[in-house]
Amino acid sequence: MVSDAALPFYEMVQNRDHELAALASAGKKLIGYFCTYAPVELIHASGFVPVRIMGDAGTIDKAYALTPDFICPYLRGAVEKALNGGYKHLRGVVQGYTCDAACGVANIWNENIGGDVFHILPLPYVDQPASRSFLRAELTGVAEKLGLAGGVYTHERLAASLDLYDKIRALMAEFYALRYERKLPLSAADFLCVVQAGFFTLPERYYTMLTDLKKALPQTFNAPKGIPVLISGSLIEDPRVLRIVEESGGMVVADDLCTGLRNFIPTRGRGAEPMDRLIDRTMNRFPCPSRTSAEERLPRLLELMECSKARGVIFILQKFCTPHLGDHPFLNAALQERRIPSLMIEIEESGAQDGPMRTRLESFFEMLEA
Amino acid sequence: MEKSAKSKKRLQTAKELPLIIADYYRECHEAKMENRPVGWMPPMNGGIELFYAMSLQPVFPENWSPVCAAFGLTHKNFAVCENMGYSRDLCGYLRNIIGYVNGMMDGPEIPLGGLPEPDIILTPQGGCSPVMKIFQALERRFPRAKVFRGDSPQVAIENITRHHIDYAVGEMKRLVEFLAEATGHKLDMDRLKEVVRLSDRACELWDEIMSFRRFIPTPISASEIGIMFVMVTRQGTQKAVDYLVRVRDELKERSEQGIGILADEKIRLFWDNIPLWYNMGLFNYFEKMGGVVVAETYSAAWSLRLDADNPMESLAMKTLTSYPLVSCVSIKKRKEMVLKACREYSIDGAILHRNRSCVPITLGQMDIRRELEQEGIPSLIIDADHMDDRNFSTAQFQTRADAFMEMLLSKKKGSL
Repeated sequence: MVSDAALPFYEMVQNRDHELAALASAGKKLIGYFCTYAPVELIHASGFVPVRIMGDAGTIDKAYALTPDFICPYLRGAVEKALNGGYKHLRGVVQGYTCDAACGVANIWNENIGGDVFHILPLPYVDQPASRSFLRAELTGVAEKLGLAGGVYTHERLAASLDLYDKIRALMAEFYALRYERKLPLSAADFLCVVQAGFFTLPERYYTMLTDLKKALPQTFNAPKGIPVLISGSLIEDPRVLRIVEESGGMVVADDLCTGLRNFIPTRGRGAEPMDRLIDRTMNRFPCPSRTSAEERLPRLLELMECSKARGVIFILQKFCTPHLGDHPFLNAALQERRIPSLMIEIEESGAQDGPMRTRLESFFEMLEA
Repeated sequence: MEKSAKSKKRLQTAKELPLIIADYYRECHEAKMENRPVGWMPPMNGGIELFYAMSLQPVFPENWSPVCAAFGLTHKNFAVCENMGYSRDLCGYLRNIIGYVNGMMDGPEIPLGGLPEPDIILTPQGGCSPVMKIFQALERRFPRAKVFRGDSPQVAIENITRHHIDYAVGEMKRLVEFLAEATGHKLDMDRLKEVVRLSDRACELWDEIMSFRRFIPTPISASEIGIMFVMVTRQGTQKAVDYLVRVRDELKERSEQGIGILADEKIRLFWDNIPLWYNMGLFNYFEKMGGVVVAETYSAAWSLRLDADNPMESLAMKTLTSYPLVSCVSIKKRKEMVLKACREYSIDGAILHRNRSCVPITLGQMDIRRELEQEGIPSLIIDADHMDDRNFSTAQFQTRADAFMEMLLSKKKGSL
């Protein structure tokens, strides 16, 4: 059951293809991206609507003609959807280099789907003055590339976009704070819909929707039940996955997902000029395993555990996701040392795989209850 | 057909490889005994020349994996790694080296004495995702090693501009400062220029060696590609140059005498992606039907030139270009390279190794395949893994390879 408050977001996500078509019909120019390290504020400031590319649930067919079966189901699903015409409204792709598979699929997109804009943005890993200058040159290059496709960039426009996205992220941070205190009357699946709607909605409209959501949240509600857990992973497309977690006895109180907290923290970057703010935020992003080590992620996970009072961690990983799979053994061992129970579930092409997933989750929660 | 087999080499210089390899690893151990700092690093970057110029010893964990495959050690290493919780879906290089350093490391059964422990680790911030995760795991395993994390922007070669080069030069300078601080060894610019000159000479010889592949019959095949060991481990040294001169001279002699890998060469093949290190004999498989694997993707990684008068920038460029040359950072560039090789070497058919252990090279192969078809070059997809023989079926390979060769032979005879 979708809660009333989340219903507008749920409906938008359900009607995503129509929403994109409507935006295109209204003369909006859409630019796709796979990873949240794409500079959405810059894309928006240049007069485009940033759209996070997602796949559809279902089996992969056409994508196998272009991709091997050992990249993550998310990217295969995205290519499948594109080959079925699901992204005909996109004017191109701007992608920050995070993982190899996303970079390769962006290239494949350019070769086979096409568009006016194709840009892969190398991102520095080490934060130092030279890296920030480097990133400034890269972002300027993106603005120039978008300019060739009819984009208009000015510092003032970037400042306005940053202000808007900062407000969106600040609101999301408020929702997260409520969630940590069990004061957010939204299921994890509903909350994922709230996040996902932001991946393709005009930010001006999305901000209004979030403001309305904040007002619509009931002040009194039955306290949620379930064992509090943190979900860590790359991205979750299907809200059903989180519904199964909560139906099996869990209550998601925190996350470390790029369809979640990693997308919003920090809420803003600091700097005198708009570009400085964008650079500062990019360099200080909540750590993604494609860009950092498990050692640097662990303290952040423990902080989340502490502030949310989660009792366990469920790693929900895309199958074949090297950055996450590469970190998992260390994180798992580190949690074990601290007597924090954890479970790992891989998402395969067929999605949630309800039966086996439920069984494992139920056992996990029974163990936590014991 | 065996699941694991060594390649049959025709070049005398290629047959010397076991000695060349042993000599390099002996040097690595000597460095440790002589207290000359040992640094572990990824291959194909400008740090190698810096190390040789500063009298430090570079060691390449990635290169150790093919050695493990050749000696049949991978299953033990995989078992250790997978028991630590690493997924079988991860790259075989990653699983092998993490298994090795957390398992047998320098046990009595290890050939060549294994790898000497690192005093320094150069963790790449760039390159492919598995290599970053490998070095993070190595930092964990060797906590006393001094660590340098250097940025190497993942940018397509055709998009490299001044600011990429300047940034990469800055990172090289930062590395020099780190090495001086960590080891007490100072960099002498004249010495560096000499090392870069030798490195450039090696690249020049490499290109010359590759050019012999134009001859029909070819005097060199992918079975001899082990000669690249000196490009991986000894670039910037006189030893590499001396060896490559001898390889070049042998090829010159053979080509002048018209001696090919096969006396009756019928089909010329191209191999895309990393070889199956545990079964280099696969390259010889096609010979029974007159097929020779004339060229492969990997060799392009050293087809570059360095300017000894501008050593830091040359090394920065080497670092910037090495990963994009053999990955999916630019499929456009990869297509160009494969097509160029196929044209230059008169290739009849291409074998595309869909490599479960290497996503960056595998992605884009279908686009390369389409381009080859437009050029009239048929291709064959082989599903395998460059490190893990559990992901390779000999029977499936044989069936596909035989049918492909028959088709190519018929096509050549004009019956298709």
